[in-house]
Amino acid sequence: MTLRIGTILLLQTAALLVMVAMKQWTLSSGTPILLETQPVDPRSLFRGDYVRLNYAISQLSADQLGGDDDFSKHDPIFVQLQQVDLYWQPVSIHHQWPSSPGGGVVIKGEVRYARGNIAVRYGIENYFVPEGEGRALERPRAEERVDILVAVDRFGGAGIKGVLVNGELRYQEKLL
Amino acid sequence: MLNRFAKRLKSELPHWVDQGWVTPAGAQSIEEHVADRSGGDGFLVRALAILGVLLLGSGVFTFFAANWSELAKLTKLGLLLGGLWVCYGTAGRLLARGEYQKTAHALLLLGVLLFGANVMLVAQIYHIDAHYPNGVLLWAIGGLVTAWLLPSQSALVAAIALLILWTGMESQGFGQVHLWFLPLWAVALIRLEAMQWRFAFHVAMVALMIWSAFTLLTIGDHAPWENGLHLYLVEAFTFAYLALFLTGMLMETTARLRAGASTVRRYALLALLICLYALTFPRLHQGLVGWEWVMSSIYGSAEGIYFLVVVVVLIALVLLLSLWHRRRTLSSARPPHLLWGQVLLGSMVLLMIASLFLGGRFGSLVAIAYNLFYFAGLVWLVAVGRVERDQFLINIGFGFFALVLLSRYFDTFWTQMNRSFFFMVGGVILLAGGFFLERQRRRLIAPSDESHPGGVS
Repeated sequence: MTLRIGTILLLQTAALLVMVAMKQWTLSSGTPILLETQPVDPRSLFRGDYVRLNYAISQLSADQLGGDDDFSKHDPIFVQLQQVDLYWQPVSIHHQWPSSPGGGVVIKGEVRYARGNIAVRYGIENYFVPEGEGRALERPRAEERVDILVAVDRFGGAGIKGVLVNGELRYQEKLL
Repeated sequence: MLNRFAKRLKSELPHWVDQGWVTPAGAQSIEEHVADRSGGDGFLVRALAILGVLLLGSGVFTFFAANWSELAKLTKLGLLLGGLWVCYGTAGRLLARGEYQKTAHALLLLGVLLFGANVMLVAQIYHIDAHYPNGVLLWAIGGLVTAWLLPSQSALVAAIALLILWTGMESQGFGQVHLWFLPLWAVALIRLEAMQWRFAFHVAMVALMIWSAFTLLTIGDHAPWENGLHLYLVEAFTFAYLALFLTGMLMETTARLRAGASTVRRYALLALLICLYALTFPRLHQGLVGWEWVMSSIYGSAEGIYFLVVVVVLIALVLLLSLWHRRRTLSSARPPHLLWGQVLLGSMVLLMIASLFLGGRFGSLVAIAYNLFYFAGLVWLVAVGRVERDQFLINIGFGFFALVLLSRYFDTFWTQMNRSFFFMVGGVILLAGGFFLERQRRRLIAPSDESHPGGVS
């Protein structure tokens, strides 16, 4: 009985720790890039106690980018990014890992829909903030600018490293 | 349900004893047997424990969902994992000592719920925003592991319910035919078969039915109506359910699998009747069919040929299972109603094959034939239910009879005059059939009535 209970605990605990470890690996080993956010509704950028983030790279125009252009809903998509001034901008989009990523980084996403523009989800669209603080930031002032610092690992996986308000780090992700 | 029956029985038994139908000792034995089956205190303990677990689990979910900002990540992780360890540890201790078994099983269920809560909360703490059905998959696998290593039916039921949720998210949320459900479902099936868990078996069958419905809907969403693909799709599922029904009949012939045979047959029959009901609608038979469709499929898309191959393979499977069952039951007696059923089913299968090539402009006639066979089949089900004393068959027969009758009444496809003739002819056939059957029944039971003048004591 002890062995069986121990096995269950070991497997379930390991599963949870692997989740943490994989995320932490992306954050610690990934290339840090700064992404510009584009709130869908500026009045509710911070909703409740989690932030819903919409990036400039969440809507892509295949006509203006290199690579492939025939994407369908739920297709995996690899977006090559290059730094332009402060932010990282899309250069080309691909069905598979691009053969020559050049000097930029490649972030992996999933096509939400492709009607004219291609809407992409990267798994960095939600950011949980402590209870109460989300409401305090619910209506950012007109002069406030929210940027997100993202780490992209060598497989294209991404994780939020921090939230910057007017260039100052407001939240930073730590392991413990 | 059983408690209501027990109460009614308790009020009836003294009268039966007074009448001499049941002996006083027999009445006591019956009362004890029914009280034992209805559960009594054991049922109450189990029910309270499970309700307590559900409340506690919900409390943990909402408590942590508040994103407990006062605590560091390490403390949160410690609390989450600590809760999990205490829960499983206590359950294991109780199981090992053989004490408070029902509480121990409730704690195992709580452990599965806590594992799910931990998956969600770790994702929240570390901002893990992945393909969201994967979280439910991980949770379901946690439940399966618990049920495999410990004899916990409730953990397995929870795991199967989570598998349904997972496959629903994948197929309906992402529009994919989700075959990955099947191997995990089979893992659950192997375990519950080994443990002979009847409730979990019902849940597993419901899960299979829901998965198949999701699959049908997902494929149907991608199939255009005008090329007749929906007819092939519905027929493919009809043959698949028929194959499942025959599997249930084959299980009946194997001692080890006999306990679950009736459950498989009932769920398969329900699904089969739903598919056949869909085939009674004329619209399904209006598209391109026959060689015209086959040729357009060959030159149009590979999808059409894929559908045709699936239907042909399933027909072959149904034939194979029928022959296998026949071989295993050669020496068994076959009552007349079974032979009638075979004739009806065989005719329906022939109609299904023919309708793949006779639709289009003959679609209306094909639909009429389906309706006639469907009504005949339902009448046969009710009759068999009466003979076999199977309330399920009677209820399902009447239920679908009412459904198809209402559907045809409000169907705008045929003119009112056509529907009127259909109902009148159908009514006359049923009345004549009823009269014939009643005459047959009276002739058959007349001698046996004489030999049983009274009740038994």
